[in-house]
Amino acid sequence: MSFINNLLPTLRRSSSVKNDESNRSSGPVQRPLYRVSEGTEAYTLTVQMAGVAKDGVEITADHGEIRVIGRRAWQRPEGWTTLHRESIDATYELVLTHDNAINAEKISAELSDGVLTVTVPKAEAIKPRRITVA
Amino acid sequence: MRIIRYNQPFTRSLPALNRYAYSPWTGLEAEIDRLFNVTLNDFISPPVTQFPVDLYEDKDNAYVRAELPGINRDDMHVELVDGYLNINATRKTKTESGEESYTLERSLSVPETVQADKISAAYENGVLSITLPKREESKPRKISVAIN
Repeated sequence: MSFINNLLPTLRRSSSVKNDESNRSSGPVQRPLYRVSEGTEAYTLTVQMAGVAKDGVEITADHGEIRVIGRRAWQRPEGWTTLHRESIDATYELVLTHDNAINAEKISAELSDGVLTVTVPKAEAIKPRRITVA
Repeated sequence: MRIIRYNQPFTRSLPALNRYAYSPWTGLEAEIDRLFNVTLNDFISPPVTQFPVDLYEDKDNAYVRAELPGINRDDMHVELVDGYLNINATRKTKTESGEESYTLERSLSVPETVQADKISAAYENGVLSITLPKREESKPRKISVAIN
């Protein structure tokens, strides 16, 4: 049982140099800005992924981690010359570990204007419950 | 109720002290900083008010693409004032303690060769793209010179 009963981010570097896991996204990745807030019934994960449309999002929940991948679809048109770039073309990847205190079956997500909101319901056992004394 | 919020990872911003930029410990120090940010749950870092902007051009237009996810269209303003293009956006988020809002703004200088009244903008998937048409006389044109 973990002492920190929250969705913790992993501290591994998500670089493409690792070759031990074949299901890692290829190419450079960047970690998006995100926020996890806790409610009574569920955790809400808000991830800012600009330039990602619904078909570019992939969310998997597996082995105690939730992985969110966002691929950007925009390509620079042919005739455009680049004058100045501040954004990075890397796909967004966010991996959060949890200690299974969540109900992975009922995770739901919505994407609107580049912000992905994932609702991760807490497992039944840890929801606050009132215990009556007989 | 706990909020854990992260700033952007350190690789996207310049290190504060350049002499540490190439140290082999920079990565480790950044990871340790992040670890502390996670465990100090009551520490809420200030919101990130800067956003990346990309500039492109082709022969007819200049293009500005700004990454601004999660903004309502009514809270976004693009203005051209005195040769500067001002992008102003207010991000409102609902947290459990109520609504929190902060502004993001950026000002870019725009050359005089832009037709100010024909500027258009679109917002899609969290990216604001602004098209600034160039004036006719400043578009590259081939001028043939007859030699007598």
